[in-house]
Amino acid sequence: MESQAGATSSALESYLPRIESVLREILRQGGFHLSAAVRKGKLAVEGMEPPEFVVDLSGPDAEALLQKHAALLDALEYVVLRAVRLDEGLFGRITFDCQDWRWLRAQELQLAARVAAERVLETGDPFALNPMNARERRIVHLALKNQPKVRTLSEGFGPERRVVIHPAPPASHGAPRS
Amino acid sequence: MKELIEAIAKALVDSPDQVSVRAVEGEQVTILELRVHPSDLGKVIGKQGRTARSIRTILGAAGMKLKKRYTLEILE
Repeated sequence: MESQAGATSSALESYLPRIESVLREILRQGGFHLSAAVRKGKLAVEGMEPPEFVVDLSGPDAEALLQKHAALLDALEYVVLRAVRLDEGLFGRITFDCQDWRWLRAQELQLAARVAAERVLETGDPFALNPMNARERRIVHLALKNQPKVRTLSEGFGPERRVVIHPAPPASHGAPRS
Repeated sequence: MKELIEAIAKALVDSPDQVSVRAVEGEQVTILELRVHPSDLGKVIGKQGRTARSIRTILGAAGMKLKKRYTLEILE
């Protein structure tokens, strides 16, 4: 992972001018009152590398961008990164953001994951979180990676795919329970 | 809105000169018919339709600003 990140930093930078021009054209034609500024990624989600570059959107239409779990922000990011032919394996290295939504959403997901895990430990029953995209599911999986008493699985297909938290099978029957 | 779809499609495909969009105006909703070169169809639809879904999200949000409804049809 580190070597890949190091090797791709300048390669990633070469995509930025095209990203900005495609995005500006879409914003202009769509009549969106938003402007874009590229900055270095700084806010890291626990257990994850920060993105190399953040395309930061701001302006009067920021609210529309973040509605429905930032559906428009995600759509713009996906279309633009596809348009510039960025390898999909590198999609997390350049992210679109607005008012630190990505980081705040990650905090929210991590909290939801911990609360759900506690519930699973209390009840002994699996618990299914709401459907999420791959990026958000990954945050949940990572949030509970070091919690040995539960295991997380992604289940379902397409937009219905969600993380299900299961109680981990006991390591051994003789183990003391606390 | 036709120009928005043209701009997005042209950015996505290999043959931008083959992109055309026709607007069919209804009473409540405007249908935008997108045509691309057959070899570019996958580029505007995407894996599991994700690109098409994203284009529709952008179109829906842009239409909302104008208080109008738009539907995108991708023609084969």
